[in-house]
Amino acid sequence: MATTAQISITSDITDSIPFSVNANMTMYQAGTTLDLEETTGLAQRTFSGSLTQVVLIDVSATAVTAAAGGHKVYIRNTGTDKTKGFKVFLADATDDVEEIGTLYGQDWMLMPWLATDANEDIMVQPSSTEKMTIEYAVFHQ
Amino acid sequence: MAITTATLTLSSDMLSSPISISASSTLMKAGITEGLELIEMGRGTISEADASKTAEFGLGTALGVDKAAKLFLVNKATDPTYYIDIDLHDTNIGRLYAGDWMFIPWGINDVASEIVLEAEPSGAVCPYEFVLLQEPQTLVDHS
Repeated sequence: MATTAQISITSDITDSIPFSVNANMTMYQAGTTLDLEETTGLAQRTFSGSLTQVVLIDVSATAVTAAAGGHKVYIRNTGTDKTKGFKVFLADATDDVEEIGTLYGQDWMLMPWLATDANEDIMVQPSSTEKMTIEYAVFHQ
Repeated sequence: MAITTATLTLSSDMLSSPISISASSTLMKAGITEGLELIEMGRGTISEADASKTAEFGLGTALGVDKAAKLFLVNKATDPTYYIDIDLHDTNIGRLYAGDWMFIPWGINDVASEIVLEAEPSGAVCPYEFVLLQEPQTLVDHS
């Protein structure tokens, strides 16, 4: 039951130095070479009419194994408008919230997720009251 | 305009209907359609004996307010038990085990938005590589 992810980054920011990065990973259970075996599947949420920060991925509603440490989260702003974005936030165990960054149209992210405490939810906040859509998935132990 | 593209190909056969994700984004400055213009990349090593260290790349300042940045970070260790704990300021994002990578938007908007690295468990030594893509920050007058 393998889950693999490949990233490719190319850039012509520098004229004289061609730049590209490629990396692959197989998502394993923490500290092992055993495949992750659980997922939320790919989900989608659409926002409209509000600029409120909301919980996108709730630790308590995701059957993650506490303290496992091998979880991964994928999030993408499916819109094409580069002027509109979702701010993405992460809470810690004390419910202190940090802003990770903003996903503009078509931007995506893939990151590890500790999720050892019920407070460690992932929140998003749309930048526009117009219809905006985000897709996400959690791959976990 | 500089063009920087980040492409993801993800597949999983956990479900009876396999998950297949293809995502690609041209990385732009915040809220506009001009490409990012700064690139910083490098390699470092962190060991468990170092305890937690502020990453040497992309130190946040108020000059980064409302600026776009993307961070790629990979743990190049080969021992599957070795991992790098990744903190955003004082919030633990998660663990990058050997071979794991992450790609995130990064709001480098104040000194409390730094990335902090810590290798674990005891005896772990983790080489890592990073790429930081961002837009120019607002320059200040020389004093």
